[in-house]
Amino acid sequence: MAGKKVLVVDDEVHIIHVVAIKLRNNGFEVISASDGGEAFELACSERPDIIVTDFQMPVMTGLELVKKLRQNEATRNTPVIMLTARGFAVEDKQREDLQISEFLSKPFSPKELLRSIEDILYQAAES
Amino acid sequence: MRTVRNLYVMVAVVTGIAAGSLFLAGFAAWWYRDIGAAWSLVLSVCCVVGAVGAIWLGRALLKLVKAIASIAGQPELTAKNTEEELKPVDIGGKKGLFDLLKMTAMEQVGEAIGNRLDGYHNYTSELEKQVKDLQVQVQLIQRQRRNAEAIIYSIRDAVIVIDEFDRLLMANEAAGRLFRFDFKSSQHKPIGELIDAGKNEFVDFLRQSRQSRVRATRREIVIADSGQRIADTPNVKERTFDCIVSCVYEGKEKVCGVVAVLHDVTREKEISRMKNDFVSHVSHELKTPLASITAYSEMLADGEANDEETRKEFYSVIQSQAERLNRLIEDILNISRIESGLIKIDKRPVSLTILIEEQLQMIKSAAKEKNIELIGQKPIVFDQVYVDKDMISQVIVNLLSNAVKYTRPGGSIKIETGVDEITKRARVSITDTGVGVPDDEIEHVFDKFYRVGANKSCAKGTGLGLNLVKQIVEKVHDGRVFVTSKVGIGSTFGFELPLAVGQPVKA
Repeated sequence: MAGKKVLVVDDEVHIIHVVAIKLRNNGFEVISASDGGEAFELACSERPDIIVTDFQMPVMTGLELVKKLRQNEATRNTPVIMLTARGFAVEDKQREDLQISEFLSKPFSPKELLRSIEDILYQAAES
Repeated sequence: MRTVRNLYVMVAVVTGIAAGSLFLAGFAAWWYRDIGAAWSLVLSVCCVVGAVGAIWLGRALLKLVKAIASIAGQPELTAKNTEEELKPVDIGGKKGLFDLLKMTAMEQVGEAIGNRLDGYHNYTSELEKQVKDLQVQVQLIQRQRRNAEAIIYSIRDAVIVIDEFDRLLMANEAAGRLFRFDFKSSQHKPIGELIDAGKNEFVDFLRQSRQSRVRATRREIVIADSGQRIADTPNVKERTFDCIVSCVYEGKEKVCGVVAVLHDVTREKEISRMKNDFVSHVSHELKTPLASITAYSEMLADGEANDEETRKEFYSVIQSQAERLNRLIEDILNISRIESGLIKIDKRPVSLTILIEEQLQMIKSAAKEKNIELIGQKPIVFDQVYVDKDMISQVIVNLLSNAVKYTRPGGSIKIETGVDEITKRARVSITDTGVGVPDDEIEHVFDKFYRVGANKSCAKGTGLGLNLVKQIVEKVHDGRVFVTSKVGIGSTFGFELPLAVGQPVKA
């Protein structure tokens, strides 16, 4: 997984920081954004291998960001992991339509997040 | 009865004598038929005819007496009456039989009529009494009806009564206001005409309930607001009613109408919605610092912090997030305590200038991070206010942190203090160059859980900070909060507190 690029999107700077350290310690390259708009631009220009985004964010919610990513040719198939502090968040159908690979609820374990990222990237490489 | 019997006997005797003598005359004529057969025959026939005529006349007289007796009914004749009645017979010894009969008959008739009149008189007074009783009862019923109507009219819930043909029987003022019809002059009009098409759901419900003949049915009905704004829920465009429709029965089976009572539950609904939003929002707010604490602890435990500096940084993040969590919980608890009156208040004379200075130090780092300039207060001469220090510190820090949150990088925040010698009040205002609050939302910014829609994305919040400010200043300290704002230019939030002049000083 060395060298794979992960985009981390959260309006909480501490969350980005801790995720970035965990991923960098495990050989990933990490880029980050604090809102959906910035994240979309980065996703288009930097072409990350996977995106980890918060659900509730200012300007553009995580869901709106994913919708926008799916409409864009360059980011159509980028896997997404969504972090959410709200239990209900998204219906199964919407989740399928938007191809959200995984939902992790906050508080989350960085270890578990790392494992999910590795699994998803491994599956993507397999297929 | 004796008079009648006398008359009978008299008539019978007279008739008998007349008929008998005529028979005898006829027989004599036949016996002495030597006078000439022809004459004898004629005489005999005349006598027989006369006798038959006498009998017939007697019968007719008896009938007449009987008729008089029946007209008189059951005349109760006193001894005196009997004497008086007999008198003409004695006096009128010389008078003819016809006169006697005529007088007796007339007396009988007069007496009978008199009796009847007496009867009628009694009957009339009885009727008059009954009429009076009925009038009293009618008045009583009318009064009861007016009372019942007054009760129904005064009910705050809308009440509508319709008959079996869906015509309005009664409606109170609240119903008239809700469905916009004149509740006093709309009686007997079809309910479908009175209530406009937009509120069909209610009319259909009334009809269904009547047809189903179920004793009482309940349904929640949403009705578009009739234009008037109601103070407790100014933003609501439609109102929710808990509607109970009960059938009115005639006998056991037949439904002769329905009564509908509509209780406005909009406010309760709104509160319930706000509570749900609040719980959802607060849980999100609580989880955010918790997420940091969990993640950083796990990293430390797993040895992911490679050097001492990183470890220190992690510890400090955990600490600050725990403090954040605590502040949030405190906010919620404080509001709840102030509202329930359970909070312990410790009022002392405090210098407002010093309080503000302390809070400015606390907010400095956050302002510096966003490159926001803090323009401090000018010291005022007498600024002692009689307050709970911790509470007013909370007010100042809430206003300052809001100013920092909603001001874009590079902006400024100005703190001003002043004293009004006439009203003996100190005034603090905090002016920012932030995003501002739209005019139609400004009156709600101090409401609990209220967050300005357009500014939600600028910063996170529970919608509790300003409500806490208002509660502390107005409810606990008898002060006043104020706000002015212009979208895109900035806002001024502030408060006034009574000066400590003349206030008791605690040791």
